[in-house]
Amino acid sequence: MESEMPGPLDGVRVFDLTLWMVGPWASTQLGALGADVIHIEQPSVDPRTLGAGVPPTINGTSIGYMTWNQNKRGLFLDLKSASDRQTAYELLQTCDVFLINMRPGAAERMGVGYEQVKAVNPDIVYTAITGWGEVGPMRDKPGADVQAQYFTGFWSVSGAEGGRPEVYRHMAQIDATTGNVAAQAVIMGLLARKRTGKGQRVHVGMLRAGMALQSGRLAEYLSTETLHQPLGSAAFATAPDQAFQCQWGDWIGVSVTGEDEWQRFAAVMRESEAEVEGIDDLATDPRWGSNRERVARRSELAALLQTGFEQRPRQYWMLRMSAAGIPCGYPISFETLQHHAQAIENAYLREVETSGWGKVWTGGAPWELSRTPARWFGACLPGEHTGEILDELAARRATADEPAAVGD
Amino acid sequence: MAGPLDGYRVVEIAEGVAGPYTAMSLADAGADVVKIEPPQGDRSRGWAPSLNVGDGDDSPLFRALNRNKRGIVLDWSSADDLETARRLLSQADVTVVDKFGLPPELAWDRLDNPGLVYCAISGFGPNGPWADRPASEIGTQMASEATSSLGVLGNEPVRHGSDIGSVFAANNAIQAICAALYARDESDPGHPTGGQRVEVSLFGSLIAMRSTLWVALSNPDEWWGFHLDSYVKPPDHGYQCRDLPIYFSLARIRGEFFDSLIDELGMDWAREHPDYEKLRTDGAGGAGRYAAELTPLWERGFANFDAEQVIEIVERHGGWAFPMHDYERLSRDPQVEAVGAIIDVEQQDGSTMRQIAPPWDFEGTPVSMTMRPAPGLGEHQEEVLAGLAARS
Repeated sequence: MESEMPGPLDGVRVFDLTLWMVGPWASTQLGALGADVIHIEQPSVDPRTLGAGVPPTINGTSIGYMTWNQNKRGLFLDLKSASDRQTAYELLQTCDVFLINMRPGAAERMGVGYEQVKAVNPDIVYTAITGWGEVGPMRDKPGADVQAQYFTGFWSVSGAEGGRPEVYRHMAQIDATTGNVAAQAVIMGLLARKRTGKGQRVHVGMLRAGMALQSGRLAEYLSTETLHQPLGSAAFATAPDQAFQCQWGDWIGVSVTGEDEWQRFAAVMRESEAEVEGIDDLATDPRWGSNRERVARRSELAALLQTGFEQRPRQYWMLRMSAAGIPCGYPISFETLQHHAQAIENAYLREVETSGWGKVWTGGAPWELSRTPARWFGACLPGEHTGEILDELAARRATADEPAAVGD
Repeated sequence: MAGPLDGYRVVEIAEGVAGPYTAMSLADAGADVVKIEPPQGDRSRGWAPSLNVGDGDDSPLFRALNRNKRGIVLDWSSADDLETARRLLSQADVTVVDKFGLPPELAWDRLDNPGLVYCAISGFGPNGPWADRPASEIGTQMASEATSSLGVLGNEPVRHGSDIGSVFAANNAIQAICAALYARDESDPGHPTGGQRVEVSLFGSLIAMRSTLWVALSNPDEWWGFHLDSYVKPPDHGYQCRDLPIYFSLARIRGEFFDSLIDELGMDWAREHPDYEKLRTDGAGGAGRYAAELTPLWERGFANFDAEQVIEIVERHGGWAFPMHDYERLSRDPQVEAVGAIIDVEQQDGSTMRQIAPPWDFEGTPVSMTMRPAPGLGEHQEEVLAGLAARS
């Protein structure tokens, strides 16, 4: 999957003043897309606090740091020191993007607020990421994934049928979503710069990103003012669209999202010759005449179908449903995914070398680009490329017609 | 002022969530998006519940994911309509397609537009044995292992109730489309030829979003880390107070602060509890190491207070606490109002629908928050075809 072809953001350089996950995840994406991402750490950084110290650790470093700082080069800069701050401004002159995720006001105190950076490089796409936004009563509150999951109602639409809603027990979904949204904003800012010739300040916050993620569910609530109640594996909007238990207890997930699929699904159920009353008449029974009628009678329909599914093995249903073009799938464990052709052949899950922690498994690039492929490499150590980057700046200084202008 | 993608032309041939969400984001950011629907319409128009506004009984989800687009209807069994689609694609900068019945004539390598960024969203990705398998939320959430972070091991799998696979894929598609446009315009300004095919899938996006977990499973020095033990934890409902549930973290609460916290919560009895030492450690609150087993202890104390009181007490002691909003409380929260996360979108019949604002603020090229409603079926047929004829 690795290629000598440059990625789509080849030539773009990012000043990555980010920490924890949201900002670092945004720049991990930009790096995969070919940008030269320079990840800044304070030289005094305690390795145990990197990646917010999220456990578990490998060789004393949080797996958070290792996940969220892939596809980057590492640079030590102490923005509290005058000389390092000058180096930062010199580096910023060579950058297209500035990225930061700190609470409002922190950048200004370090000398890298928008006005300060703009004075050095007016063309820069300056992107600030916050938790709750730049205004409002919560603007100064700390924001991380767990809080965002709870606050935005992300937890409130999942759970066993008839039970209380429950939290998604793998954190980082809203962190990563916000990072993805920030990466979008950066690239949109670069596209706008092509048209207008100007840089600008861009802002993204976890609260709005987390709500945008739930646009469909929230629109349903805002239109009907009816709260979703957990339905186990079942969808709110479509039916049948849920997991069924097959012979020998295996689960299969099957989704019927439109009337064409319903007709094909009905044919598969009929041809299975499972012994269930009404299973031959699914396509014509007026009780199931439209998606909304099936949703209204979802439990009744699911009970009927469950009796059919449990009469044949899962592999039977997977083959028949796939052949009929019915969306389906089944639970796969991590141990199996590691070796699963579908994950490996698309490089969705891969093993990468790292500088300090040996080989680690990681999710890979979620895109395939035919002309300018993405790349993926393991996390840098903090400050790992400091010498290399300072040498590049020195070489640039040596060839420049005029001494590097310095602002503040 | 126009948004950052002003001037780009996008054609969407997609249904449901992932493709429409992608194209809507591009439209929100200023692109001109034409949505092509089959004669029976995007299937998500018929999803539940029904919304009787504007042009009919569309679902709220359809209306929320298709704003700012112009809509036309084309029938792939008509040669004329196929030709219309080909011509639209020949003039577009971006196409967003999913796998619902796209005719082979409209495949990437059959089109006459070398500058086109052609984004295909699939269930499981372009390569591998499942490349052609159709997909859905529950199918991909199960296959990518996302459902193992919900429910109880061995019981019925629990889906994440928002459309995470589709929206994660959409977010990746938006990134990749914009990056591909950047690469094209960087190499060929004016007369672009550097288009390409971009592939994104629900399965791949769900896996990428669990990257932290995959790294955590790479031979760590310790096993309990909270990304790992989510496999064996019971369902997490937060911490129930007298009225509402909250989430809290003990953060820096140690020593005398901890003792004072216990005093204020009236939890004297907890000092006699065999697990009191655990209660004193950082692993006792929120996502901590002992969170699940100590939840009943905290809830016994919190039962005497409203959520607002517990939040105040915890924060005064240096911890963090947040309300666990359902959608009703979220929609009324002052912070949500302050950041303008919910917007009114006027529909064709003059009614307004409340929807979620796009998530980015561009100070130089602001996104307009005055949105056009999702198109009725074929609403812009004449206008779009007239524009096509004028440019040919």
